[in-house]
Amino acid sequence: MAENNTLLSVRNLSTFFDTEQGPAKAVQNVSFDIKSAETFALVGESGCGKSVTALSIMRLIPHPQGRIVSGKISFKNHNILELTEKRMRTIRGNKIAMIFQEPMTSLNPVFSIGFQIAEAIRLHQRKKSSRAWSMTEEILEKVHIPDAGRRLYEYPHQLSGGMRQRVMIAMAISCKPSLLIADEPTTALDVTIQAQILDLLDELQKSENMSILLITHDLGVVAQRADNVAVMYASKIAEQCSCNELFKNPLHPYTQGLLNSRPQLGTRQNRLNTIAGNVPEPLNFPSGCKFHPRCPIGYNDKRCQTVEPELREVSPNHYAACWYAKK
Amino acid sequence: MIKGRSYWADSLRQLRKHTLAMYSLGIIVVYILVVMFIYLANWTKTDVSFLDWNQQVGKEYEKPNKQNILGTDFLGRSVLRKTIYGARVSLTIAFWASIISILIGVPLGAAAGYFRGFIDDIVVWIYTTLSSIPYILLILAFALVLRGKTLNLNSLGLGTISLSGISTVYLAIGLTSWVDICRLIRAEVMKHKQREYILAALSYGCSNSRIIFRHLIPNVFHLIIISFSLRFVGFIQAEVILSFLGLGEKNSPSWGAMIDAARLDLPKGYWWEMTAATAAIFLISLALNIFGDALRDSLDPKLKVQ
Repeated sequence: MAENNTLLSVRNLSTFFDTEQGPAKAVQNVSFDIKSAETFALVGESGCGKSVTALSIMRLIPHPQGRIVSGKISFKNHNILELTEKRMRTIRGNKIAMIFQEPMTSLNPVFSIGFQIAEAIRLHQRKKSSRAWSMTEEILEKVHIPDAGRRLYEYPHQLSGGMRQRVMIAMAISCKPSLLIADEPTTALDVTIQAQILDLLDELQKSENMSILLITHDLGVVAQRADNVAVMYASKIAEQCSCNELFKNPLHPYTQGLLNSRPQLGTRQNRLNTIAGNVPEPLNFPSGCKFHPRCPIGYNDKRCQTVEPELREVSPNHYAACWYAKK
Repeated sequence: MIKGRSYWADSLRQLRKHTLAMYSLGIIVVYILVVMFIYLANWTKTDVSFLDWNQQVGKEYEKPNKQNILGTDFLGRSVLRKTIYGARVSLTIAFWASIISILIGVPLGAAAGYFRGFIDDIVVWIYTTLSSIPYILLILAFALVLRGKTLNLNSLGLGTISLSGISTVYLAIGLTSWVDICRLIRAEVMKHKQREYILAALSYGCSNSRIIFRHLIPNVFHLIIISFSLRFVGFIQAEVILSFLGLGEKNSPSWGAMIDAARLDLPKGYWWEMTAATAAIFLISLALNIFGDALRDSLDPKLKVQ
C-alpha cells in the first residue's frame, strides 16, 4: 500500500462536456486525496461539478459528449484513467461502488431486489446462484432491512424510499468495496430517514473498513460525518481542509457565506442570510476569480476580477483559493 | 403476508378482469388449437374426415345447406373444410413473420438506441430506406425474389431449406416489416438509457451487452408483446394480399387464395366462399385487436393505476 495510506488520489482532474456553444468545463483542476477508512466530503451547490467528479472516478461520464480532458486518478496506486474498459468493469462495483441520489429510480423496476443484489455479487465473485442468494439475504440483514428473507422477493415499487436506498447500499457493499461513492445519498429522503441512512453508512464504514466519498450540499451532514472536506464552486475546489477547521475557521468568502446562510439554533432570525447572485453557468464563467461577482470582499477588486487565484496552503493542511485568505 | 408481486403478475391480474379480452383470447386459442390439430394430423398421417379439404362432397357451387353448412366451391369441395384448413397457412405465416421481424427489429433497435453514434446512423439509414418504399411493392419484390430459392443455412448447422410457398411468404413479410418494431424499441431504449438504474447497473460493473439484454430489453419487453399481438393481424392480412396477387401458398387452401378464387364467382351470385374466408379473417382480426389493446392497457406502465 501507499505511504500515508492514501486510497484514492485525484490530481488535476478536468472533465469537459462538448456542447454546441463550446466545451462546458464541468470540472477543472480538481485534486484531492482520500485516505483509507476516512470520510471525505465534497460540498457545493447544484451544478458545481460534484457529481461529474464522482462519475469521472467511476469512468462513467456519458459518452461521447463528456470526456476527461486531463488529470490522474490513482486508486491503490493504479491510474484508473489508463485501464482498459474490461479491467475497469472489474473495479466498478467490486473495488469502488456508488450509490445514487434517487433511490426511487436507481433500481430496475422489473426485477426483484434479491435478483439485483445477487447479480452484483455474481458479476464479481464466482459463486453458485444458491450461495449468492444466501449472501444476498445476509447483506440485506446487514443494512437492517427487517424480514430480509421475504423482502428478497419483493419488487422496487413495493418498497419505500428509505428501504430502496438501503437496498442500493446493500448492492454497493455486496462485494466489500474499499471506496464507496455516495452521491447525495440522502437528498431525496426525509430527515428522519436521512439520519438512519447516514448512521447505517457510518456503521458499515467501521465494520467493512471502507472509505466514503460523500457528495452533498448539506452542511449539516458534513459537520456530523466527514473527516475532511472540499468545498467546490463553479468546477473548482474553493477550499479544502479538515471538517473541524472548516466550521471553526472558514477562509474562503464562499464558505463563509454558506456557513452564514445556515439557520442558527437558539437565535431569532427574520430571514436567513443568502449569498447574492447565482451560480455561474459552466459555459459562461466570469473572468478572474469565479466567485468575484458574488463576493462581498473582492467585488470591486481589480485582481479578483482579472486573475484567478490558485488553491494554496494558507495554514497547515488548510487550502483556499482566494487572494484574501489569511491565517 | 404480502407476497412480492412482479410487474408481470400484476399485469396478468389486471388482464384477467377484462372480460371481452378474455373472450377474445378464447377465440385466439381456438384458432391456434385448430392449427396445431392440423399439424398434428398431418404429422401422424391421421385421416380426419373434416380436414380432407380436397375431397369432393357434393355438386359444384352448392348453396349452404344442411349437409354442407357453408356450401361447396367450383369443384364441389366443402367450403367449411377449406376455411378451417386455411387457418394453417394464415397463422403459420403470421407467426413466423412476427418472429422474424422481432428477431431483426429488436436487437437492431436496442443497439441503435443504446450505442447511438455510428451504429445508430446505419440502422436509421437502413430503416428509413426500407420504409420509403411502398410496403406492398417491397413485399412483392421480396416474394418474387425468394420464390423457389433454397436457403443455405449450413453455416448455422440447419442444413438447406427450400423455400416453398409458405416460407417465401413469411420470409418476405418478416424481412420487410421489422421497421416499426425497430423504431419503437430504439426510441424506448433511448428513453430508458437515461434512467438512473442503468447508470447504477454500470456502476456495479455490468457490461454493455449485459445492460442491453438483462436490463433494457426486459424493460421494453411489454412493447414487444403488444406489438406482436397487434401486428399479427397485419401479417394475416398481408398473407391474404399476397395470395390474392398470386404469390401465396399454392398447394393448400388459404383464406387469401379462397378470396382470390371467389372473386370471379361473386358476380354470379356465389357468395358463400368469399363470406366464409372473410368471416374467418374478421373474427381473428377482431379478437387479436381487442386482446392486443387490453394487453397494452395492462402492460404499459404509463397507463397503469396502482
